[in-house]
Amino acid sequence: MSYMELCEKALESAEKLGAKEIEAVVVVRRAIGVEIERAEIKTCNDVMDGGLGVRTITNKKIGFAFTNILKQKEVEKTAKRAVKASKASPKDKNWKQLPERQKYPTVKGLYDKRITKFSSDEAVVLCQKMISTAHAVDKRVLPAFGGAEVTIFESICLNNHGVKAEDKGTSLVCALGTMARSKTQVSPMCFELKASRRYEPNPEWVAKEAARFAVDAINVGKAEAGKFPILLDPFALQSILTYTLVQSVRGDNVARGRSAFKNKIGKKVAGENITIYDNGILPGGLRSGRMDMEGVSRQKTPIIEEGILRGFLYDNYWAKLEGKESTGNAGRGGGGLSLPSYGTIPAISPTNIQFIAGTFTEKELLEEVKNGYYVRSVQGAHQSNPDTGEFSVALAPAWRIQKGKITHAVKGVMIAGNAYDMLKKISALGKETRQVETFIAPKAVISELNVITK
Amino acid sequence: MKDVLSSVLDKISGLNASYAEIRTQENGNTFITVRDGQVEAVSLSTEKGAAIRVLAKGAWGFSTTNSLARGDLEKAAKSALKMAQVAGQSVREPVKLAPVKAVEGKARVKFKKDPRKVDISTKIGTLLNINSSCFNFDKRIKSVTVNYADLATEQTLATTDGTYIEQLKMFVWNYCWVTGKSKSVMASARDEVGAHGYELYTTEPTDKIAERVSRKVVQQLEAKTAKGGSFPAILGTNIVGVFAHEALGHICEADLTLAGSALMGKLGQKIASDKVTIYDSALIPEGFGAIEYDDEGVPGQETVLIKDGTLVGLMHNRETAAKMNMKPTGNARAWDFRFSPIIRMRNTCFEKGDQSFKELMEDMKFGYYLEAFRGGQANLDGTFTVGVQSAFEIVKGELGKPVRNIGISGNTLETLRQVDACGKDFDLGMGRCGKGQAMFISDGGPPLRVKSILIGGA
Repeated sequence: MSYMELCEKALESAEKLGAKEIEAVVVVRRAIGVEIERAEIKTCNDVMDGGLGVRTITNKKIGFAFTNILKQKEVEKTAKRAVKASKASPKDKNWKQLPERQKYPTVKGLYDKRITKFSSDEAVVLCQKMISTAHAVDKRVLPAFGGAEVTIFESICLNNHGVKAEDKGTSLVCALGTMARSKTQVSPMCFELKASRRYEPNPEWVAKEAARFAVDAINVGKAEAGKFPILLDPFALQSILTYTLVQSVRGDNVARGRSAFKNKIGKKVAGENITIYDNGILPGGLRSGRMDMEGVSRQKTPIIEEGILRGFLYDNYWAKLEGKESTGNAGRGGGGLSLPSYGTIPAISPTNIQFIAGTFTEKELLEEVKNGYYVRSVQGAHQSNPDTGEFSVALAPAWRIQKGKITHAVKGVMIAGNAYDMLKKISALGKETRQVETFIAPKAVISELNVITK
Repeated sequence: MKDVLSSVLDKISGLNASYAEIRTQENGNTFITVRDGQVEAVSLSTEKGAAIRVLAKGAWGFSTTNSLARGDLEKAAKSALKMAQVAGQSVREPVKLAPVKAVEGKARVKFKKDPRKVDISTKIGTLLNINSSCFNFDKRIKSVTVNYADLATEQTLATTDGTYIEQLKMFVWNYCWVTGKSKSVMASARDEVGAHGYELYTTEPTDKIAERVSRKVVQQLEAKTAKGGSFPAILGTNIVGVFAHEALGHICEADLTLAGSALMGKLGQKIASDKVTIYDSALIPEGFGAIEYDDEGVPGQETVLIKDGTLVGLMHNRETAAKMNMKPTGNARAWDFRFSPIIRMRNTCFEKGDQSFKELMEDMKFGYYLEAFRGGQANLDGTFTVGVQSAFEIVKGELGKPVRNIGISGNTLETLRQVDACGKDFDLGMGRCGKGQAMFISDGGPPLRVKSILIGGA
């Protein structure tokens, strides 16, 4: 039975049991990869996971069930359990209805046949290249953890309001975490990765960068406390804003009074140089696709344009409740319990948070800072307060900038501030952007942040 | 099941595998989320699958399958073998496993009330109670999310070393996130509790959970921001737990120690003040990390990490134990059949001392009492951060005003040397840890006084 037929079977079974609205999703994913541990290729994985989730709604009572056993009999049982869960639930007064039939965009660069033919032997070669390149940079570098992995995935969504869609994609990741040690010092773990939807591995670049950062982080010098301009790498920017800005533009948080941006549409929330989209149809974007996880078409949603707040991210549930259209931001899975994506109901989730690049070259960014710090990664950003935007994070690794040049690494330093104020204090944006998880962003200079030292 | 698994293992052994293990699971789980009084969805699952690890040519191969039929298991095992052979092409230091005694056993986690026998509507009622008690606590409470999960897993583990263990694992988990708002301030707090059975709500009645988390929110609304800089502090039991886990525990996981963590080469050395004793134990029955056997079949045990300031142990699986010529400690754990077992903590705690809370505060002119955490993180070089959601000033030996939204950071080893007193109270908290896969763990300890810690104020 095909995956679509299994979904049809789920709808049929739930309908027989009296369910009014029914949705079935199947997500199947295969990952082949090799892991590096302590400069050795140590493990090779071939992991296949797939399953089906059924959501049923009758009289505003919502039920959900899922299974990873993709057989007709089990699918029927799963539909039955969803109906049982729905019957046991009280009414959700906010429920409107499942998404209706959609038109889907064509997005280029998300599926590469070359990746579907990828073998574990190739992953070994990529990892060998990473290890030898990192060693060649400096013999004090230990490629501690990393790997190369391809993923091939497919998702199917069917509901009885006319949604019937499939999406598929591929990705390839090379990643390396390195540490460097001298006689007296240990660098923090320094990461680099290259992730792409197409077969575009670049193991040498990944290893060189990861190794260079670790070596540069060994020689620690003096750090000064006070208010300083800070150059944030896309890695650091992504960490700080994921737990603040991204939370505040989620439509559910806005509706529930948990967003600092409530009632601020059309108002200035950032500097004029700041334009941010959630772009789910970006060609080749790591989080791009035709449809979201409840079959709504993906789109490009303006969040902030030239400093003005334009919009929020919605899935079907919260959009309908707020009298808006879904922005195609339904995601599934995770939830802190490592659940697979067929294993939860939808929740609002960003696609590619795209910052429009600035004009500054690398040299100009350092000159803009003049006297401050360059922060590659921060630690502890997930402890930020999404409601208020307040954060205080440790820097690892980070460097002192003096007279417009990077001078030495620093350790035991924290920065603290407010992420929403920070958006108004970005004095320069780099002209190159890169993708780090959900973020596509340039380097950014924050004109002033509080630096705390021992 | 036993016959099927042994016949698959026999076949793989015959194909030049030096070790193989099959871990099968059948899971039945319930998840419920209540948001602002609305039941978002009740979710029921059944899953089954097997994780297969094969050691050949000195490297690991890993594969999974969602079928427990003999043919499918055999196919997955062959794939794992092939993967190991691929990975083994360039191995310089072949993976070896520390010897263990083969175990044949049956184990059941200890619980009083099976959550599978509790009605869905009872579970929903419990969560709605927490929700309404939070809203009733104070009118400034604006939003409440309550997440509930019960997970029951029937697991079998069979290895080519002759181990065959059937285990029942069970977790009941309750997590709240509450947000409040006054005129100019927004604040939120989290609360996470758990048990191995539905008796959770007897030891943690719903109004107690609601009061605890709501009080933290209201307290923050009334709090001022902290000064940044280094200050003496008393770490509350909840912070001590997360410190034991994040700051120290991770760098004592032997895979991370070997990768160059701040503890590399420090076994047997004095790394902390005399007041510090820390252990990771599978033998605290109520803890989320209570396990009778780990996922390599090694019996659960107590592992002392630091004894009176000296680093005396690390947490091992069979591979790191062999590499360091030590004994496996039973720390190999996998979240479910989608993941391979890796070194994870169980219940990680500081040993208690003899001082009352009042005595800990007595001589402190100005400092902070850090009560509860929002989250924690550590780097292998020993840099740790802990976000604090609830804290107070200590002024002239007395608890002062609440402060909000502060983070602490430091170097683990430096901070362990700064511990100058341990309280006599003890508390254990339930939580989760992420290391590429989720895991239920516990951590705890007594309140601790540190001479100096870096506070990241606003």
